Amino acid sequence: MYVTDQELPEAALKRESERRMILEPQQQSSPINVPDAHLYSSYAPVPGIYDEMMDSQGALRPHWQMFLNLLDDLGPAKLHHRWETARQLIHDNGVTYNVYGDPAGMDRPWHLDSLPVLFSAAEWADLQAGVAQRARLLDAILADLYGPQRMLAEKIIPAELVFGHGLFLRPLHGVAVPGLRRLHSYAADVGRGPDGRFVVLMDRTQAPSGTGYTLENRMVISRALPDVFRDCRVSRLATFFRRFRETLKSLSNRENPRIVLLTPGPYNETYFEHAYLARYLGYTLVEGADLIVRDNYVYLKMLGGLQRVDVILRRQDDDFCDPLELRADSALGIPGLVQAVYSGNVAVANALGSGLAEIPALMMFLPALCRRLLDEDLMLSSVHSFWCGNMQARQYVLDNLSRMVIKPAFLGGRDKPVFARNLSHEALESLRAGILAAPCNFVGEHYVELSTAPVLMGDHVEPRHLVLRLHATCGDDGYSVMPGALARFSGSADSMIVSMQRGGGSKDAWILSDGPVDAFSFLQPAGQPVPISRAGGDLPSRVADNLFWLGRYEERAQANARLARGIVIRLMDQNFDSTAELPTLFSALAKQTMYVAPEGQPVSAEVKLVEILLRNPHANGFPATLQSIYRIAALVRDRMSLDIWRIINRLDEDFPGADKTDPALLDLLPALDRLIITFAAFDGLAMESMTRGYAWRFLDIGRRIERAIGTLTLLAETLVPVVDREGPLLESVLEIADSIITYRRRYTTNLQIPPVLDMLLADESNPRSAAFQLVRLQEHLALLVANGGAAGLSAPERIVLRLLTDMRLADFTALGGIETNDRRNRREHLGRLLAIWIDELRMLSDVISREYLVHITESRQLGFQPAGAVAPGIDSQPLGIHTPRAGG
Amino acid sequence: MPVYRIKHVTRYRYEQPVTICHHIAHLLPREAARHVWSSADLDIFPTAMRTDRFDYFGNRQTFFSIQEPHRELLVTSRGEVEILAPATGMLFSNQPWEQARDNLRNMSTPDFAGVIQFTFESVKIAQTAEAAQYAAASFTAGRPAIEAVEDLMRRIHQEFKFDTCATTVATSVAEVFRDRRGVCQDFAHLGIACLRSMGLAARYVSGYLLTDAPPGRPRMVGVDASHAWLSVYVPESGWLDFDPTNNMTPGDRHITIAYGRDFSDVSPLRGVILGGGNHAVHVSVDVTAV
Repeated sequence: MYVTDQELPEAALKRESERRMILEPQQQSSPINVPDAHLYSSYAPVPGIYDEMMDSQGALRPHWQMFLNLLDDLGPAKLHHRWETARQLIHDNGVTYNVYGDPAGMDRPWHLDSLPVLFSAAEWADLQAGVAQRARLLDAILADLYGPQRMLAEKIIPAELVFGHGLFLRPLHGVAVPGLRRLHSYAADVGRGPDGRFVVLMDRTQAPSGTGYTLENRMVISRALPDVFRDCRVSRLATFFRRFRETLKSLSNRENPRIVLLTPGPYNETYFEHAYLARYLGYTLVEGADLIVRDNYVYLKMLGGLQRVDVILRRQDDDFCDPLELRADSALGIPGLVQAVYSGNVAVANALGSGLAEIPALMMFLPALCRRLLDEDLMLSSVHSFWCGNMQARQYVLDNLSRMVIKPAFLGGRDKPVFARNLSHEALESLRAGILAAPCNFVGEHYVELSTAPVLMGDHVEPRHLVLRLHATCGDDGYSVMPGALARFSGSADSMIVSMQRGGGSKDAWILSDGPVDAFSFLQPAGQPVPISRAGGDLPSRVADNLFWLGRYEERAQANARLARGIVIRLMDQNFDSTAELPTLFSALAKQTMYVAPEGQPVSAEVKLVEILLRNPHANGFPATLQSIYRIAALVRDRMSLDIWRIINRLDEDFPGADKTDPALLDLLPALDRLIITFAAFDGLAMESMTRGYAWRFLDIGRRIERAIGTLTLLAETLVPVVDREGPLLESVLEIADSIITYRRRYTTNLQIPPVLDMLLADESNPRSAAFQLVRLQEHLALLVANGGAAGLSAPERIVLRLLTDMRLADFTALGGIETNDRRNRREHLGRLLAIWIDELRMLSDVISREYLVHITESRQLGFQPAGAVAPGIDSQPLGIHTPRAGG
Repeated sequence: MPVYRIKHVTRYRYEQPVTICHHIAHLLPREAARHVWSSADLDIFPTAMRTDRFDYFGNRQTFFSIQEPHRELLVTSRGEVEILAPATGMLFSNQPWEQARDNLRNMSTPDFAGVIQFTFESVKIAQTAEAAQYAAASFTAGRPAIEAVEDLMRRIHQEFKFDTCATTVATSVAEVFRDRRGVCQDFAHLGIACLRSMGLAARYVSGYLLTDAPPGRPRMVGVDASHAWLSVYVPESGWLDFDPTNNMTPGDRHITIAYGRDFSDVSPLRGVILGGGNHAVHVSVDVTAV
């Protein structure tokens, strides 16, 4: 109830800030470097609230003792250093949480507190048993509602809870599920009240998120505090994930089932987690468009053809999963998926339709349902919850309205709680009227004074309210609960609202073990030996497409940066006797980045460079290109090593954004230098650390095409127009094309056009030449199987061969010469040839897309066909005239 | 008793080849009171991967998928049905509508869930104050439920104009209220919205209607269309059909194919296609008395 992914009510915000001001004097604390001071010396829990570390007498709880001693031993300086390391690790790993509807909110960094929160083995055991029972209960409820519906007939579950909203998916009723379970994962948001007892605030059955963040938190904290972590004997998480993996595997009869993780895409708030989990669990990360249903089976579109999918771990809401039988307006779905599920040819986890069990209205009925369905008492209570569709409950809520938290009854995950005690009199009355108008749509809950835990604030710790998300997964012997949790805390001591978006953060939760710790890790799998394999595996077509464009954008940005650096160096160097080549270089940069100069007064060269480089709004402009690299890299994150991802992350810092004040040339040069080195690091890692599979090939194909286009464009812009003194211009072209050293060694300082053309176009030993790129492309293309697999050269291979032959045959002495009768003072032959080659390369890009990447066509809804139009009667014809009506 | 032969043809033509399509058809008849089907078939061209199943409401639905490129889809259903006369001595309840409404909720028959679900709003029938207001004039205090529904049907027939051009398949109940015109589907939705706003269970019926040719002209083949009306649950009598488009209680000329909460549950044919470009659709329905 206090966990919200939405905006806070304004009143709550106001109240929060007022109270914070009052509390401020209490938050003063002694600095950490006082000798013998403990980290927690100044810690003052909120009176009347349960604190996880200190009891009401101010004494440390026993299970924290050892941990705190170990921290003291470490000492403040070392501790501080460790915190910094942890923070860096989170940044480097790119842990993020997206915020819907916030333009700047993509990829907000994940805020992790450096101190874990600790639980003793004994208190955890009870909680664990309670969560496991609850998972079993919710699964049994789903089994009933999607089966015999006895709970409806017996009126234990009111009909409104099933039919009064859209979460009951009729097409899934009566459809068998493998293993007879619908919930393969379940999460509970749990809080602890002042009496020290845990209560469930919210159930998550649709597509519970948080396991990936829990894992990431654990990796960061255990790396920052390895010795402390070991000595405290913290229960490990890996066993839980092994179990989860076994469960998913058991959903298919095939020996080596293909399991995919279905994500709604990178705009989803927890996309980071989807990519992270897919990599950790070894599943392919897919979007709806990657999958297709044929013969009632689900297939993944791969470069090598269609691959059967056996199990779908979905992180997408179930009603979006099939536009044919579920939400017709879903663009994310897989048409025919329900039919494939119905046929038993694919398993979906959690089962389609399981979102029904997380509606807040259900909570009030759980104790009775537990007795009826499991013949047990509910071990772990929910927050006191009152569904207003029930007359007594409604009366209670209305009588005590100002003390209640009001939530929508059916929305589940996306609820917006209203804290009635923060409302003005008018707002309260309008809430009352709203409840009376549609009582079934509201749930009232008691307010829980959540427990607090110490959170590090600078050099001291302060109490913050805590909500834990516990995860359960099923196995052959029932549900088991992860010995760990995603702990989230509020933004201030007086706010009960725990949200990642409101200054709150997360913590690792350590469950201390009584006995030895199971040291299982995924990296050393127990059991059967793994057969040795060198296959990199096939690649989803969409991923290949993304890698291809990542390669193109990366190379494009690199070319822009090199050219810009060439310009900056010339602008800054006072010793240049002439800057005659500058206008040419400027126009080349403008052309490369599609910059259109605004009409008006002339500007200084400096301002012009900043304009072209940083303020260009065009989609091919430098800022947009850098952004595209970041965006696409995020899409294929699960395909890249962490090191490559770290480099991508650095691009952002390396370069001053357009929002900053104009950088001076002096700052621009080192920034461009850093950027070029970062790109070199990216290229190097891509060459040295990626296996030579499809992923690497498509990345490289993109780079090669773009580099060839870049070199040709540079030559077309600089060497086609004839200028007076070509020496300095040729030198800068060679420098920008990174070939100056080789040229000097071959020709010393004798700068002439034909050898420059040869070196940058046809010299197959120069890694910057166009021909070099074509030779690489030839190698790549020969190893790809074109669609259809016909004999002979594929269409892309033909284009490459034609281009390469043209370049090999070109007469650069003639092309470099100037036709005396040309009044426009241009090397027209060269210009025409370069233009043709550039066009051919662009065509090559399209043909490759068509041949290998695009069986990704959008599917469309064939409109409902309307019932026909039967006219009302004219007097003599009581039954009227028929008019057939076209559908569509 | 009358025997009818039905032929319902739907033909899609696509500008570009469709590489794969998935469809759901509600074209084969469900079990319904007084209907005796001697035959019912569904043909799909080109050859399709096909599965027949029952939906949540007990309708027969056909899932099919054509997996080869095609530029035309032809779906033909044929059937022959006899409509029996209503059982003699059938009791029509005089129960006041308030009592009918309340009894619905206290039903203890095993079909409770099957009935109560039709009291809630659905994809195409949102609950609006307008519907409640419109219905209130017919549902005066203590009035027998059946009489009130008949009055509502009569008012819809009188106050709304039949107009095939005014609405599309996507028209909402609110728009029909605003424009006061529509076709059978719109009037069925409108009536259902009114009945549900009174707390009653009402469902959408999809089927066919035998029509007579205008006097002095030969009966034309293929001009008949699929038809829609509504059904309301009165605890003492069960489900009762009403056709607001024609202001009549369906007798032996209405042929039931399927029912659901609204049109979207039982649309005769819908699908998702890959490719295709522009398309044209042609539907013909032929109902003849044998």
